[in-house]
Amino acid sequence: MKPKIGRALVVGGGISGIRAALDLAETGYGVTLVDRAPHIGGVLSQLDNQFPTNQCGMCKMLPLVERDAGSQYCLRKGLFHENIDIRLSTEVVGIEGEAGSFMVRLREQPRFVDPEKCIGCGECAAVCPVDVADEFNAGLSERKAVYLPVPHMMPNTYVIDPAACTRCGECVTACPTGAIRLFRQGRQDFGVLVVDDEYTVRDSIKEWLVEDGFSVETAGSGEEALDLMKKQPFKMMLLDIKMPGMDGVEVLKKTMETFPDMAVVMMTAYATVETAVEAMKTGAMDYLMKPFDPEDLVSKVIDVYEIQEASRGEEVEAGAVVFCGGTEGYDPSTGKNTFGYKKFPDVVTGLEFERLISGTGPGGGQLVRPSNGEPVRKIAWIQCVGSRDLQTDADFCSGFCCMYAIKEAMLAKEKGPEDLDATIFYMDMRTFGKTFQRFRDSAEKDHAIRFTRGRVHTVYLDEKTGKLMISYPGENSQRIEEAFDMVVLSTGQQPAGGMDKLAQTADFDLNQWGFALAEPFAPSKTKREGIFFGGAFSGPKDIAESVISAGSASLCASVALHSAGRGMAEVTGDAPEYIDVSIQAPKVRVVLCECGSTLPGGIDMKAIAADLKTDPVVENVFTIPRICTTEGWDLLVEKAKAKGYNRLLVGACMPYAHARRLKELGEKVLMNPVLMEVEDIRAPAFRYADAEASYIQKAMERNLRSGISRLRGVDPLPKTSVPVARKALVVGGGIAGMTAALAIADHGYPVTLVENDPELGGNLNWLARTIEGYDVHAFMDSVRQRLEKHPQVTIHVDSSVMSAFGEVGNFFTTIETGSQSSVETLHHGVAIIATGGGEAPANMYSHGENDAIITQKELEQKVSDKQIDVTSMDTVVMIQCAGSREEPRNYCSRVCCASTLKHILHMKKENADLSIYVLYRDMMSYGFSETWFTEARKAGAVFIPYTVDKKPVVSVPGDGSNVKISAYEPLLDANVEINADLLVLATGIVPSLPESLAAAYGAHVDADGFFQEAEPKWRPVDSLKEGVFACGIALSPRSVTESVATAEAAAQRAMRILTKSALSRAGVTARVRQSLCSLCERCIDVCPYGARSIDLDLQKVIVNAAMCQGCGNCASECPNSASVVDGFFDGRMLDMIDMVIE
Amino acid sequence: MKAAIDGSGEPGKPKTLEERLAPVRKMLLACIQCGTCSGSCPNAWAMDSSPRHLWRLLLTHNGEEIFKSRTFALCSTCYSCTLRCPRGLPLTDAMSLLKQVAAAENIYIYRRSVRFYQSFMESVRRHGRVREMEFMTLYFMSMKNPMIPLKFTPLGMKLMAKGKVSFEIPSKGSGKLDALFRKAKEIEDQS
Repeated sequence: MKPKIGRALVVGGGISGIRAALDLAETGYGVTLVDRAPHIGGVLSQLDNQFPTNQCGMCKMLPLVERDAGSQYCLRKGLFHENIDIRLSTEVVGIEGEAGSFMVRLREQPRFVDPEKCIGCGECAAVCPVDVADEFNAGLSERKAVYLPVPHMMPNTYVIDPAACTRCGECVTACPTGAIRLFRQGRQDFGVLVVDDEYTVRDSIKEWLVEDGFSVETAGSGEEALDLMKKQPFKMMLLDIKMPGMDGVEVLKKTMETFPDMAVVMMTAYATVETAVEAMKTGAMDYLMKPFDPEDLVSKVIDVYEIQEASRGEEVEAGAVVFCGGTEGYDPSTGKNTFGYKKFPDVVTGLEFERLISGTGPGGGQLVRPSNGEPVRKIAWIQCVGSRDLQTDADFCSGFCCMYAIKEAMLAKEKGPEDLDATIFYMDMRTFGKTFQRFRDSAEKDHAIRFTRGRVHTVYLDEKTGKLMISYPGENSQRIEEAFDMVVLSTGQQPAGGMDKLAQTADFDLNQWGFALAEPFAPSKTKREGIFFGGAFSGPKDIAESVISAGSASLCASVALHSAGRGMAEVTGDAPEYIDVSIQAPKVRVVLCECGSTLPGGIDMKAIAADLKTDPVVENVFTIPRICTTEGWDLLVEKAKAKGYNRLLVGACMPYAHARRLKELGEKVLMNPVLMEVEDIRAPAFRYADAEASYIQKAMERNLRSGISRLRGVDPLPKTSVPVARKALVVGGGIAGMTAALAIADHGYPVTLVENDPELGGNLNWLARTIEGYDVHAFMDSVRQRLEKHPQVTIHVDSSVMSAFGEVGNFFTTIETGSQSSVETLHHGVAIIATGGGEAPANMYSHGENDAIITQKELEQKVSDKQIDVTSMDTVVMIQCAGSREEPRNYCSRVCCASTLKHILHMKKENADLSIYVLYRDMMSYGFSETWFTEARKAGAVFIPYTVDKKPVVSVPGDGSNVKISAYEPLLDANVEINADLLVLATGIVPSLPESLAAAYGAHVDADGFFQEAEPKWRPVDSLKEGVFACGIALSPRSVTESVATAEAAAQRAMRILTKSALSRAGVTARVRQSLCSLCERCIDVCPYGARSIDLDLQKVIVNAAMCQGCGNCASECPNSASVVDGFFDGRMLDMIDMVIE
Repeated sequence: MKAAIDGSGEPGKPKTLEERLAPVRKMLLACIQCGTCSGSCPNAWAMDSSPRHLWRLLLTHNGEEIFKSRTFALCSTCYSCTLRCPRGLPLTDAMSLLKQVAAAENIYIYRRSVRFYQSFMESVRRHGRVREMEFMTLYFMSMKNPMIPLKFTPLGMKLMAKGKVSFEIPSKGSGKLDALFRKAKEIEDQS
């Protein structure tokens, strides 16, 4: 039914991998998502709270349009999307071919538990004798060798840790469904043939192997071996090379002709090594040199056996590959370990702290000292552990530890005793993200968290008190010692393990810090076409940046797939025509799974069936031995095919796992999946494990009755859809706008680009180069030229948006072009706002009174126009945060510190004798720009910190002599006076997004005038109103490369919509019963997705079915019950409640 | 100004303090003033200003101020700061260089430690090892203060009782190490 569509491979199932996979899947591509871990979610499966909301909210990443295609439950539990094929415990071992048609070789690690059979009952773990540290709780608790990698995972399939497992086989006997297969038993079926002319050799080999469970036959000559092979099948052959008569190589040749799959290992003495190598070219797998240890030989055979039996290699086709491999947390126990990590139990890493305070953590969420269980009253965070440290090879800033430390300190305050004392020891608090500065200020002011500047080096234990002691320099550099109950190490990010190998496999480069190397101005592109990076793989990032980066990577992958001729999925063929049951009286057919008779004894399924049948709405009740098996499912399909009912209730375990298959079933029996439900009847057996069978049986029945009443109330509506005008409008022609427009146009959709100024380019017109030395103008010109030549792009310069209205799929925007005063109205499906921003005005530090006082932008311009002669200067002073990071502009502009470093290095190159003083509050040289910070210091620039209450004072002498800057130098505890030839002010960035423009599209601006994103972490480029996106500086201050990333991410979000000719409504959406509606409009105000509006002509409240997420806010707000959510009518809900509490 | 940057000085003229300090400053440029050194120094309690303060003075071209403080003279070369510095700076070496500058500049407040070192090295030059008695004699003589030997008397008695100090008549030695010391002096003068 579906045409051949493009397929992408996403490597890594952490947050960026999930984002990239979902983006591509929603756009219509097929996606293979692989992760080497046995679960998806990466580190986020362990984190409950994220800054700056201190909530989770990961589910907000799930599809919003066409949401029925994917899972609609907690994303930390698991993910399902009909276009995504998730492969866990799988690694990429090779990538051949080129963009558009890669062949990717995957290798799946041995799987001992069959996920199709495992029901997650945990009987195996109960009998497992092995205890090892549990990675999920960061090693703070123990688990078994057979375990749930993430306890809340759905489906909750157990896995076996092969390294810890002793193959004792206890779990195999305990498993009620026979899901576990340890390959020890399988060895019996693995036939090994040993061929050697020496009897002692072949016989002792046989003895060794038989002892380890293999079935072995021996042959004394080549002829005998070939005869044996004809009689019985073998999987493996150990073959001597030097034999009288037919020698090993000949036997090998003959074997390969008839049994090409046979794993042949040659045995050879030193003299014939070359022959052995030759043999490998003929098809031998490996060779062993005589004499060999029994252990070497046996482990070689086991290796071959496990690779053949357990790990399945496979090749998948992919037009593009996106690496979202993430990073690794720094392990402080490596190296010198001066913090006593793992030595003192009360010294924990940031991740361990998250686990400690988590409800699913080892202590159940109690903030107590791991050493003695006493409550924590005084706790310290030590920043920059494994970051900004040349001694651990980390001349970079991890960028997220400052924020997570603040978050954790806040959570500690929340969870700990009231008088809890939380201190953060830092060098620079790097609050460079959107809203981060206010978050930090609030931590200090509202939550009384102490911020102490100073680096702590060592933690030691006071044996008498049992407290952790740290020493640090005080304000006057005097040494202070302080005792703490707990110390949290804010560990940074490091390149993920195995980067070298992966880089070799996929043919990309690594940068000097060991992360993946991206191309200039293309944050997701590698040197190899068709291979891209998302997330922290190419450098440390927090969640929001990772999500943006993943969007950028998926966009690049989408362009690559598109240009290779692999279009997006067009759903040809008709959607299944479900049988209309709207006028039929409800008739529920119930199918119960007996769970392979693993339910506790005494539960009588027949009695349940008989009981249910007394309900007149129940048409019939069937039982099936095991629905989760293929046979069981076929049986269900068979039962469902027989007519005579119009609602189907399945009683089984794991409703999430089955729910996704209902859609498939619906297509087979032409029944709307809304009319089917899966009710969990297995859970009561776990929950009330100690109760009597009759009690459990009652609970099961109660669940089923509630399911029946839920189905009784279902009233399927015809599938409606909203047509999409498949055109995009981009407002703003800076680098972000240009990039976004080009990205969409490259997919073949028309784009209109509107720019205020007479020419495109925005800030790039005055920005000459980046700190890395990349030429900005050349980059801008190349983008502009491509854009201007692009047949799908219409450019309106000197134009602005006059007015706009509409909703996703159908916006109407009127554009006014200045000089000709011409007006044009566009009909488009999505809008991308890229209005950018500019340098904040300098209304402080005597700017304007003297030519020697300039802003950073003025400096950049004067340097490129050669209006400034650095060689004739003695002293330059730069003041950071001029007007930034304090009210009313209480945010970090993020680019100024890097610009300062850029200018320092440039000026020092021109004039090495130049004295440069930088007055700063916190140097925000996040990520790799930390290296430039080091370079600037090495070049001799002097950095002097100041605080808001002791700002530098600038005085301009009337006599035309040098500008005087007076500043307090805290380390010298003295005022320093500097006579400067030049004073440069870093004033920061202000947005230029008119509130009315955002409002016209139903979006909002935040307190600082930037675009208000739907969610700072999970939906960083979306507006709450679907179809409206923002990128570049309109979103928040960012560098050129970062703007490109947001532009690509925004374009990707837009592509989800543009690739569809119509957006169909989901199964559960709200509607209005017009006869009851009093037009009070309260539902419009409470709708968080802007899906409701009032049609004044019709005098009706309208719901946009594509935008509605079925949250039910409107239904609970409506005073008349006029607003209802399909399937959740009052009657039905009350009916269900009745059933449960009966 | 140029001379102050690389510390080469002008040929023929004695070096200025700034010129002598330039190589030390160069070693410390990457300092981020985090204070790990000061938080780690076991002798910090006895110092009038912390190591961090000292580096700061050096980096902000307040060379004269450094030599009002006895901090570097109190460095016992335990290398804690060097081991711990997140920038990997050779802080202990910098302390030693400051001691050398103090010696070269002949600054009054460091005369005790400077002469102590000089006397020590003089004894090494003469015999290839330290002769405690000779070393003490040289030191006391160079200090030209009759009170100092008296102050050390109790310690001397203790050491003698334990046989840690032996009586040897000071001598000019064989002069076998003179060439080595000359070369070292040459290198020191050049740098």
